[in-house]
Amino acid sequence: MKRLAPLLALAALALAAPAPAEDVLHLYNWNNYVSDETLERFEAQCRCRVQQDYYSDNEEMLAKLEAGAVGYDLIVPTGNAVESLIRRGALRPLDKAELPHLANVKPEFLDPFYDPGNRYSVPYASTVTLIGYNVEKMRSLGLPTDTWALIFEPRYLKRIMGRVTVLNSQHELLGAAMIYLGHAVQDRDPAHWEEAKRLVIRAKPYWATFSNSTYIKDLAIGNIWVAHGYSNDMYRAREDAKAARRPFTIGFTTPKEGAVLAVDNFVIPKTAPRPDLAHRFIDFMLEGKNAADVSNLIGAGNTNAAAMPYIRPEIAAEPGIFPPPADLARLQMVRDFDAAMRRRLSRMWTEIKVR
Amino acid sequence: MSARAGPALWAAALAAYGFLYLPLAVVVIFSFNDSALNAGWVGFTTSWYAKLLRDGDMLRAAGNSLAIATASAAISTVLGAMAGIAMQRWRMPWLPALVMTPVAMPEILLGVSLLLFFRQVLDLTLGFFSILAAHVTFSIGFVALIVRVRVAGLDPALLEAARDLGATPWKAFGRVMLPLIAPALVAGLLLAFTLSIDDFVITFFVAGVGVKTLPLQIYSMIKVAVTPEVNAVSTLLMALNLGVVLAALRAAPDLLRRL
Amino acid sequence: MAERREERFAGESRWTRWLVAGPPAAFLLLFFAVPALIVVLASFREPGEFGGLEPWLEAGHLRLTLDAYRFLASDWIYAEIFARSLLVAGLCTMLCVVLAYPLAWVIARSPRRRRDLMILLVVLPFASNLLVRVYAWIILLGPAGLLYTPFAVVAGLVYVHLPFMVLPLYANLEMHDPALLEAARNLGAGPWTRFRRVTFPLSLPGIYAGSALVFIPILGMFAIPELLGGTGDILVGNLIKEAFLDNRDWPLGAALSIGLTVAVLALAALAARGARRRAPATGALP
Repeated sequence: MKRLAPLLALAALALAAPAPAEDVLHLYNWNNYVSDETLERFEAQCRCRVQQDYYSDNEEMLAKLEAGAVGYDLIVPTGNAVESLIRRGALRPLDKAELPHLANVKPEFLDPFYDPGNRYSVPYASTVTLIGYNVEKMRSLGLPTDTWALIFEPRYLKRIMGRVTVLNSQHELLGAAMIYLGHAVQDRDPAHWEEAKRLVIRAKPYWATFSNSTYIKDLAIGNIWVAHGYSNDMYRAREDAKAARRPFTIGFTTPKEGAVLAVDNFVIPKTAPRPDLAHRFIDFMLEGKNAADVSNLIGAGNTNAAAMPYIRPEIAAEPGIFPPPADLARLQMVRDFDAAMRRRLSRMWTEIKVR
Repeated sequence: MSARAGPALWAAALAAYGFLYLPLAVVVIFSFNDSALNAGWVGFTTSWYAKLLRDGDMLRAAGNSLAIATASAAISTVLGAMAGIAMQRWRMPWLPALVMTPVAMPEILLGVSLLLFFRQVLDLTLGFFSILAAHVTFSIGFVALIVRVRVAGLDPALLEAARDLGATPWKAFGRVMLPLIAPALVAGLLLAFTLSIDDFVITFFVAGVGVKTLPLQIYSMIKVAVTPEVNAVSTLLMALNLGVVLAALRAAPDLLRRL
Repeated sequence: MAERREERFAGESRWTRWLVAGPPAAFLLLFFAVPALIVVLASFREPGEFGGLEPWLEAGHLRLTLDAYRFLASDWIYAEIFARSLLVAGLCTMLCVVLAYPLAWVIARSPRRRRDLMILLVVLPFASNLLVRVYAWIILLGPAGLLYTPFAVVAGLVYVHLPFMVLPLYANLEMHDPALLEAARNLGAGPWTRFRRVTFPLSLPGIYAGSALVFIPILGMFAIPELLGGTGDILVGNLIKEAFLDNRDWPLGAALSIGLTVAVLALAALAARGARRRAPATGALP
């Protein structure tokens, strides 16, 4: 024992030897939202290293930041989260001089409601929160795949009991319920939210679990037949299933009642250690060719006009990824609520989880 | 002579071992599976190991985990043994409460409270030391418990005899008690090491940005899409841990022989 | 005469006692007690506008409230989740005892040389990561249709905590004097009687110690119910995690944590009382 302790201490010291100082960009991003290839190209160009941390829900990211997680150079929040971050003064204004490619952004995504004038944020990609499903299974069961009823109505659910997952996100799930009931996600009427809550609680026993990202795998393997999730994740599930030569295909559709559109943006927190690297990364991602990776490799909607020529036609034609005008009219973006409403929603969410 | 275990017991023990190892066998086997999905066996490949050795993030996380676990095990065994001995031998009613409550508390509470403490009171940047402090905090109690049980079972006559023969308290401790509780110390050290390597919840809250540990890295990969790369690193880690323990046995053979 | 011997024996001076008990106590005071107080305070504070907490002292007056506790008490569903968590933890603990006992016994009765290897084999599963072991269960249970069910959660919890039961139990069983069983056999006791009247009572402190190491961590787990469980299988740990990480309702999370800790401290006190019973090496029954 006496001989052991110094050995262990030496080992600890050796392993804890500090790494050589290098330029590191700390990126806090959604899972599956920037491909390794893109990062490698950036790392080669800037001669630096990118270290990514992941989150799978805006709330999770905001909670971590609120709890004092400092040290990120770049975060990719959705519009409503950007609103929240701006309101609390957590963001660093962008230096437009360092972003020459800013003009590449599609005009409809510039000057958004959550950040007038793009003082703090640059749009990166967009996703639609929709329903992904096992095509063959749905066909054989004769179930409709273009409506939220598939995950909310017991008459459909009982045929796919235990094979459905929904997002573990209060905004997304309650939002989907509100949309299905014909209300706006920005609705402030407590009675409407109560209705949505009851709808969710009624459907809950049929769902397998709440999942923010494991559904990608579950769909691809075949454990789960229907999943409430993000369009880029569904795309990934589809590709994974194909690559693994599964005997089924994954499809995804924007429900006819409407859906939530999420525009995710680059922002730089005030406490970022390397804002210079952050700006370089943003500008790199604003270049057409790099921006196209978001669609080609990730399957997310693109906010960059210069990227369009580089995007593969089959992806550009995918309505779940690039919503056609008819769909766009039905899509809604979530806004951040005030503290009182937020508390009411959280309590509602707790109740949903608990019942 | 001694009551040898009958065949029924052996069968039950083997079943328990089987239960312990079946999931691990699955992990190891699928680390050689030529498919990105851990769904069905497709073919044999070592490509995941090759990918692992090229994965800087994973290697860094593994290094961090090992360093923290080693340091945490060393510190918590020392502090935990002191606490365990003190709890058993002397009447200090506040000590068991202080030592055992971190064990009693949900890890998540420990994680959140430490996060608040580090950030809002100490204004410390989260990193290696915040994780280390957190790990030691929850490991001390476990080691103390094991040591205490062992000390409780010691024959007081042995120590008394040592004192009667003229040994000072320190000598009595070093030459009599310490060797007697050594197996508990080794068990505690191993336990603390594995608790640290394995910890996810508390580390989740106090890790901060720069330092990633293996569980955090793996958790984020599980959420995205676990490739058998994770299986590969687990297999390697198991092998490494086996090596560490065997080295420990070789470094201190007579201790374990006294078991 | 006997008292003086007693004094000399436990005779380590106060200075020695503080030297031994001091460092761990100081460490834990700093890194455990103080942060715990912060959480207690947090449960009485108001949630911040963007999450986090409102300041508790503003312009010279206290901004504290019982709101979080009132909310918890207002709905029986929280009591139900508490109760369910206790039941699940209890079930898993009993399963651990049942599975660990034969294993610990066999190891304790094996020749000395083999024991280290056997204990090593028990601890080795910990070398793999918790999350990967859970994932292995996902691989195993998925095709069997048992994933996202209570069975999966129990299996996962038992699996992860089994070594924690084996080690203390083994440490206890290892010290039983075989002569006791020999004597019992000579007196005509059958194997079951020998177990029931000799081995089991002597092993109780080990069982209590192991149960403490299993029951209590299970109550705080959220990863296993989250990854393996269905929509109705959440435990208290999940509630707390969600309060902090998803809802940013820190006072509620803190209040839940305090409630859980109180419940658990009561159980820990019971366990400590059980474990304090000495297992005499000479075998004299208590």
